[in-house]
Amino acid sequence: MAYLIQPDYVQYFCTCGQIKPITNLYFCRHCLKVRCGFCICHEVDSHYCANCLENMPSSEARLKKNRCSSCFDCPSCFHTLSTRATYAPARQDPAAGDAKVENKQPKKMYYLSCFNCRWTSRDVGIPDQPVASGGWPERTNPFANRFGQLLEYFKAIAQQEKQDKLDKERKKYAIRGKYITLTDKTGLTGAMARTTAGLPSSESSSSAIANFVPSQAKEEVEELPEDYHTKEVNLKLITTMPQRLASPEWQAQLVSRLQPIARPLSVKRSQRCRRCDHNLTKPEYNPGSIKFKIELLAYYHVPEVKIISFETIKPGCTTELLLKLTNPTAHEMQISIIQPDEVPEVEEKEEPKSIEKSLEKSLNLEKDTSWRQVIERKPLLPTTIKLHKPELSFTLAQRDDAAEYDDDSHHETNDIILWRKSNKLALRLKVTTDEEAKVGSPAVAILALQYSYRNTVPPTANSPQTRDHVLYTTVAIHLGTVTQ
Amino acid sequence: MSHNVKILPGATVCEDCTLEGDITIGSGTVIHPRVTIIAEGGPIVIAEYCIIEEYSTIIHKKSDNQENPPKPLFIGAHNVFEVGCKVESIFGHIGEYNVFECRCFVGPDVKISSGCVVGASCKLSAPQTLVDNTVIWGSDHNIREALEKQPSQLLQLDFLSKVMPNYHRLRKPNGHKRQPSRQSTEAGK
Repeated sequence: MAYLIQPDYVQYFCTCGQIKPITNLYFCRHCLKVRCGFCICHEVDSHYCANCLENMPSSEARLKKNRCSSCFDCPSCFHTLSTRATYAPARQDPAAGDAKVENKQPKKMYYLSCFNCRWTSRDVGIPDQPVASGGWPERTNPFANRFGQLLEYFKAIAQQEKQDKLDKERKKYAIRGKYITLTDKTGLTGAMARTTAGLPSSESSSSAIANFVPSQAKEEVEELPEDYHTKEVNLKLITTMPQRLASPEWQAQLVSRLQPIARPLSVKRSQRCRRCDHNLTKPEYNPGSIKFKIELLAYYHVPEVKIISFETIKPGCTTELLLKLTNPTAHEMQISIIQPDEVPEVEEKEEPKSIEKSLEKSLNLEKDTSWRQVIERKPLLPTTIKLHKPELSFTLAQRDDAAEYDDDSHHETNDIILWRKSNKLALRLKVTTDEEAKVGSPAVAILALQYSYRNTVPPTANSPQTRDHVLYTTVAIHLGTVTQ
Repeated sequence: MSHNVKILPGATVCEDCTLEGDITIGSGTVIHPRVTIIAEGGPIVIAEYCIIEEYSTIIHKKSDNQENPPKPLFIGAHNVFEVGCKVESIFGHIGEYNVFECRCFVGPDVKISSGCVVGASCKLSAPQTLVDNTVIWGSDHNIREALEKQPSQLLQLDFLSKVMPNYHRLRKPNGHKRQPSRQSTEAGK
C-alpha cells in the first residue's frame, strides 16, 4: 500500500530491479511485465499552462520559449501572480478637449500582485495596465542580439555537418565515369536544385559561419569599487540566488530590478513500453481533465498486498505477520505464495528476425534506437528474514463493486486464511529472522506471489495469444526495525 | 484588575469574545467572534478601521519593570489580524496598515512599525524591530521590503459591519459610559 505522506511499507520489484510502491508502477498488457517510470519511454503529449489551462501546440510552445504568455510567477517567491484591479484617479488630460466627459468614470487599472509575499508589479515601477491580461512590458535581453548570432552560427554548423555527412555517403556509393549525371546533362547545379526544393542554400549557411565573430577575452576589466568588501550589505535590497537563477536572462542583483517571470508551461506525458511500443498511459488531451484514455497501471492488474499487523522482529525468532491480499482484476485469480528465489528467471526471447524488420532498420539507420533497449535486472534481496512458505494456493474472487451489498456467505477459513470478503482475503504468515540480524537495522521481508492472469487483449491474426498466464511478482514488506 | 471595555460608536464587536482589562475599541473596527483581547499589563487602545478575525489573540503582557501608571498599548488604524494570529506586545505602539496573517505569532519583544506583513504561520520571537513596510513570508521567514503600505480593507470593513449584525449578537457601543464588568454582560445574555 502506498500512502500519501507515510513511508511505503509494501514495495514491489519492477522488472528493471527498482523497488517502488504499487501506485508508481505500470503493467504492460502485451509483454505481461511490470514496468516503472525508470524503464519506460516518456513522451510529451501536449503543452499547457497549469494556471490558465490553455493548450498550446508544441511548435508555438517552442516559439514562446515554453512559457505562457498571459500568466506570471512572482519573481520574489515564485508563487503565481494574480491580477488586481484598482480605480485610477481620473487624470486631467489637457490635450483632450472635453475633460468633463472624459472624467465621468474612473478608469480601471490593473497590476500584478502576489498573495504569498505581497510583491506587486508597482514595487518595481511597472506601470499599471488598462487591460486585465496581457500587454505587460517585455524586457529585451541586452544580449539578445548576440544570442541570435550564436544560435544562427550553431545552426549553420549543424547544417553543414549534416550536409558533409550526406555528401560523404553519396560519394562512397557513387560510381563515377560510367554514366553522365543529371547535372552534367542539364547544367542544373546542386545549388539550384536546392533552391527549387526550398532548402536553405549552402551559401547562406557558410556566410553565417564566415561572418561570425567569436567573443574576445578582455585583458582589462573594470575594477571593483573601493568599498566592495567593506560596504555593509542590505539584504533587503539584493536578490537571493534562487531569485537570480529563476530568470537567467537578467539575473537582477537588486530587488528593484525584479521582473515578473512568465510562467513555464507544463506538459502532459504519455508512457510507452520500450519493448513492445504499446502505450501504457495516455492522458486526455484537454488540460483541464485528469482522466486517461489508456491507463495500464499495476494497481489494476497486480494483486495488492497490504500489511494488517505484524509482531516485532527479533533476531532468531519466528514471528507472525498478517497480510491482506486484493484481486483488482475482473477475473478470478489463483494465487500461491512462494519464496523469492523460486521465481523463474526471465528468459530472454530473441526477437524473430524478419525481412520486414531488417528493412525497416535499414530505413532509419540514422535513428538512435538505444532508447528501445529494455533493462531487466534481478535485484539483490536481503535474506535476513525468511518466510515460512504456506503449503497452500488459493483462489481470489474477481473484483465486484456490487459485492459489498451482498450478504456475505460463509467461506472456509483455516489457520492461514483468516477471512475472505469478495475479492479480498487475510493471510497469517510466519517469518523467521536470522540469528545474525543486526539490532536496529531495517527489517524487510521478501515474498513472491505466483498468480494467474487472464489477458484481455483481443488476439490478433498474426499473434495468437494464450489467454491465461501465470505471472510472478516480488514484494518487499517493511516490518519496522529489528529489535532486541 | 479593572474591566472597562470602551466601544466607540461605529465599531462592530461580537458578544462572543473575551475582552479583559481596560480596552478601548475605535469606531469602524470590526471584531469577530471568539477573539481574545487581554490587557493585563496596561490598557489597550485599538484605533479605527481594524479587522480582528476569529481566534486571534492580542495580549498586552505584564512586563517585569512595570511602569506606574501602566503604559497603554496603542494599536494604530487599518490593522488586520487574521484568523488565529497571536500578538503579545509590551511595547506601547503598533503602527497602522499592518497585516498579521493566519496563525502568525508575534512575541513580546518585537516592535512593529507601519505597513508590515507577518506571513501566515510565521513566528517572531526574537527581539527585533520591523521597519516600515517589512514583509515576512514563508516557512523560511523570508524578509523583503515593500514599496508602499498595504492597501486598506475599507470595502471588506463595510461588508463586515453590514453582515455581522445579521448573524451575531453584538456588544453595544458605550462611547463614554463605563461598563461595570465583563461578568455582568455575560449574565445579561
